Amino acid sequence: MSKDLLQEQSDLTLDDICERCGLSIDTVTTYVHEGLVDVSGSEATGWKFTQTHMVHIQKARRLEQDLRLNPAGSVLVLELLAQIDTLKARLKHFDPQS
Amino acid sequence: MTMEYKDYYAVLGVEKSATEEEIKLAFRKLARKYHPDLNKDEGAEAKFKEIGEANDVLSDPEKRAAYDQLGQGYQPGQDFRPPPDWPNRAEGFDFTGRPGADGAQQQDFSEFFEDLFGRAQRQQQGPRQQPNFNAKGQDSHARIVIDLNDTFNGAKRTITLKVPELSADGHMVLKNRTLDVTIPKGVREGQSIRLKKQGGPGYGKGEAGDLYLEISFKPHKYYHTEGNDLYLDLPVTPWEAALGGKIETSTPAGPVSLNIPANSKQGGKLRLKGRGIPAKTPGDLYVVLQITLPPADSPKAKELYQTIAKELDFNPRAQMAAQL
Repeated sequence: MSKDLLQEQSDLTLDDICERCGLSIDTVTTYVHEGLVDVSGSEATGWKFTQTHMVHIQKARRLEQDLRLNPAGSVLVLELLAQIDTLKARLKHFDPQS
Repeated sequence: MTMEYKDYYAVLGVEKSATEEEIKLAFRKLARKYHPDLNKDEGAEAKFKEIGEANDVLSDPEKRAAYDQLGQGYQPGQDFRPPPDWPNRAEGFDFTGRPGADGAQQQDFSEFFEDLFGRAQRQQQGPRQQPNFNAKGQDSHARIVIDLNDTFNGAKRTITLKVPELSADGHMVLKNRTLDVTIPKGVREGQSIRLKKQGGPGYGKGEAGDLYLEISFKPHKYYHTEGNDLYLDLPVTPWEAALGGKIETSTPAGPVSLNIPANSKQGGKLRLKGRGIPAKTPGDLYVVLQITLPPADSPKAKELYQTIAKELDFNPRAQMAAQL
C-alpha cells in the first residue's frame, strides 16, 4: 500500500481542540460524553481527536448558537443528518432520477 | 454613498404590522430551513445571513422603529441613502456600541445594516481595527464531490469555490476561487481534508484560518459505499446464478475473479475481504448479484423460454396464497 495513504491522524489533544474551536474544556467534554465524537480512553488527558472530530464539534456548536439547541439536541441533529445522507445516497443508487 | 434598500419584512415573509411573536416564529422557521449545516443548496448560506440580519433589526424594538422611520417610501433594491449625520440625527436612537440581539453573526451583516446600526460598534469592538490584536483567521468549510476512483488511487483535482468577498464599493459578492487539491488515497465520504491557511484571512499578524473540504462521492451506476465498504451491483445471467461459475470483473481495486456459487439468488452478496476503500484496515468489497434476464426478442429466445416454461415445474407465487 502506498505511503501517501490517508491515515487520519488522531493527533489533537483536548487542549488543541479547545484552542482551535474557541471552546471551554467543559463544552468539549460534554460533546465527548454525548457521543458526538469517539475518542478512545476514559481519561480526558489521553483523548486524541482527529480533524474530522474537530469539524463535527464546530458544526454542533454552530447549530446550537444559530438554532438555540442544547448539546444533546445538536448531537441528535448531526446523527440524523448523517442518516439522511446515507439514505439519500442509497436512494440515489436505487433511483438515479431522484 | 448609496446602497440598496433592504426590505427586512419581506426577507422574513411577515407583514409590516407583525408582532414580536410573529417575527420570532418566522425567523426560527427560516433559520432551520436555511441553516448552511442543514441545507446544502448553494444559496442557503447567503439566505441564512440575510435572515439573521433582518431578525436582528426587527426583533429589537428600537432598531425596528428606526428602520421603519427611515424606510418610509423605499422599495426593495432601490438605491438607499441614509440621512446625513445618521445615526446621531436619529432622535431617541443610539446604536453605538450596542451588541446585536444575536451578536455571533454581527460581522457578516450587509453594508446597509452596518451603515444604519453597526458601523460605530464595529470600529470600537472589531478585532480588525486594533493595531495590536493578532489572531488566526476563521476556518472555512466547503464540500467537494470526487470520483470513487480518486480514493483508490489518490488524485489531484482542481476545484472552484464560491467565496464571499467585499468588493470595492462595499458589497458582498461571490467570487470564484480555484484551488489545486490533492485527494489522499483512502479518503471516505464525510471525511474532511484540511488545507492549511486557505481559510479566512488572519487578523493583524495572525495567520489565515484553514479550509476544510468535506468529501462526497459522485453517484455511480454500479458502485456505492457504506463507510469503508464498497458495494458493486454486478449483473449476472440467470444461468450463471443457477449453475454457478467463474466471472472476471474489474473493480476500482483491480481486476477480480469471482466464484459464483450454484443456486445464487437475486441480491445475493459475495464478500471480498480488503477490496474496499484502502486504509490500514481496508474496507471490504461486497458484490451484489443482479440477475438480468435476456429479452425474449427473437424466435430462438422465445422458444427457449417456452421450453423452460414447459419443462420446469416452477411457480414463484406458490407460497403467496398461504401467506395472505
